[in-house]
Amino acid sequence: MNELLNKLAVAIARGKVNQKSPFPPDMKGEFGADELTKQALEESVAPAAILNDGLMIGMKTVGDKFESGKAFIPDMLIAAKAMNVAMVHLKPFFDSGEVELKGDFILGTVAGDLHDIGKNIVRMVLTGNGWNVIDLGTDVKPEQFIETLKEYPNAVIGMSALLTTTMMQMETTTTAIKEVSPDTKIYIGGAPISQEFSDKIGADGYFPDPNKFAKHLASVV
Amino acid sequence: MASRERVLSSLNHKQPDKIAIDFGATAVTGMHVNIVASLREYYGLEKRLVKVHEPYQMLGYIDDDLKEILGVDVEGIFPLNTIFGFPNENWKEWKLDSGLEVLVSEHFNTTKDDKGDTLIYPEGDTAVPPSGRMPKNGYFFDCIVRQEPIDEEKLNPEDNLEEYGLISDEELDYFSKKTKRASAKNRAVVLSIPGTALGDIALVPAPFIKHPKGIRDIEEWYMSTMIRPDYIHKVFEKQTEIALENLAKIKDAVKDNVDAVFICGTDFGTQNSTFCSEETYNELYKPYYKQINGWIHSNTEWKTFKHTCGAVKSLVPALIESGFDILNPVQVSAFNMDAKILKEEFGEQLTFWGGGVDTQDTLAFKTPKDVREEVLKHCRIFNKNGGYIFNTVHNIQGNTPIENVVALFDAVKSIN
Repeated sequence: MNELLNKLAVAIARGKVNQKSPFPPDMKGEFGADELTKQALEESVAPAAILNDGLMIGMKTVGDKFESGKAFIPDMLIAAKAMNVAMVHLKPFFDSGEVELKGDFILGTVAGDLHDIGKNIVRMVLTGNGWNVIDLGTDVKPEQFIETLKEYPNAVIGMSALLTTTMMQMETTTTAIKEVSPDTKIYIGGAPISQEFSDKIGADGYFPDPNKFAKHLASVV
Repeated sequence: MASRERVLSSLNHKQPDKIAIDFGATAVTGMHVNIVASLREYYGLEKRLVKVHEPYQMLGYIDDDLKEILGVDVEGIFPLNTIFGFPNENWKEWKLDSGLEVLVSEHFNTTKDDKGDTLIYPEGDTAVPPSGRMPKNGYFFDCIVRQEPIDEEKLNPEDNLEEYGLISDEELDYFSKKTKRASAKNRAVVLSIPGTALGDIALVPAPFIKHPKGIRDIEEWYMSTMIRPDYIHKVFEKQTEIALENLAKIKDAVKDNVDAVFICGTDFGTQNSTFCSEETYNELYKPYYKQINGWIHSNTEWKTFKHTCGAVKSLVPALIESGFDILNPVQVSAFNMDAKILKEEFGEQLTFWGGGVDTQDTLAFKTPKDVREEVLKHCRIFNKNGGYIFNTVHNIQGNTPIENVVALFDAVKSIN
């Protein structure tokens, strides 16, 4: 694999955003995700290769660590920051269709719930896995999911809830979506959620961490 | 045993005559105002509007008549100002979206936005941007993050220290009077100490400050524990220095009227893991906790109370080394947080304050029979040889069926 892409994967996994950023201390002064992505494009590395062999590998590394309890929320957030700057350079190739994405994924925290860290980490992992994530933010009403689904009819939907007081919104939202689009896959996540709850409300699955979820999506799509 | 004796016995790891019970003594061991109102109605108590004493989570004040019925053994004393930076005084009527009428501080000033969400303001000042939002038909507020753009070159730890200062004579006098009054009720007294929470994510956005500066965004703060550790150390160092000065003054003000002190509500756990490694905890947090708890243990009889949600079993030895005596809320529903194993491994060193029943699932969504079984099981495990104060895993949520809450108290009473 391209040495440059190896470096990019490491920059993502370790949260090296750009050359100026002092973190991680042992990578001080080195190129970060920003410069490495730019350099790869300048050296005519295919954008799809940058995504598949750079970003995705980096995300997988930090995601695997998170899944096994060796990386933590701050590690995921800083990796996301590095990935976001890399994505800025790749976005034109996604928009033009030059890089084929895995599909559309509509994401949001359900109505009445304003929490978004978990959702944002899911967004980051899925984006890094080659999904076009349409993030509707927090406090998303069922009709907002349905409206967005009209625009992206083949999308998979992901819903998040942190609160015991808002998780029942997942049932309302799932029912409303399945009524207009029974074949749309809906996945749920969040602190109070379980597979049992997912089964009960008619969703298509619950995943306790984003990495496991990304692997599942890759296996079914 | 009188309530205070019962609690002290348990805190000293001696078998109390009954299981000691807390509801309402801290901001993480209470009940949503809906629940307090429903319990008053259920038990046929005098009709009166319930006071919202903690306006962020909308916790209801449990009056003495209800405390008697529930068998509550603990009194709680809170800082002079609430999390929105105003004192609870001159109560006025206010209505939740559900229609429930409650009493709130005269400074609890709110507006509605175009979505129907309720906005609340720091120090009750509606002339500045709001610092809290309750979604339409919601149960409580969440912080509105007011993060100014971060200029790495100009970041100054002093900006994150605006909320910490020497305690005022007014607040000392308030603590003195409140603790004396609480202690006279013969219940144990828990005092929530202001300014000792290290990086509590509910406090980082500073919903009590009109124009917060520094690092106030939640994700940015979490990342800062990794990417700006020197900054965080400087905040914690100065915060601890101020806290130690304040502790000495508070000790003089409250005399022997306090039995335990709430130190910190920083959550170190998620549902499945921790927020940081043991190495990070030991490097970034432990030195400061040790100073605070060390001072308390050298100078007072107070037991020190640490709240952290989540799957924190791997951090419990380090929390004990940090000098904490009490762990709350003992989230038995989180990964690896089995009640029996926790009691076996740490029961001699720690008092478990909570863990009676899971509020995310069992209490909120299952049957009274399920609630009873879980409460009985956990009480039998945790209360052996003391070291246990009964409470749920965190505050009882506003949508919990009242029959489940009653089942909970009936279960504890049946053991007692």
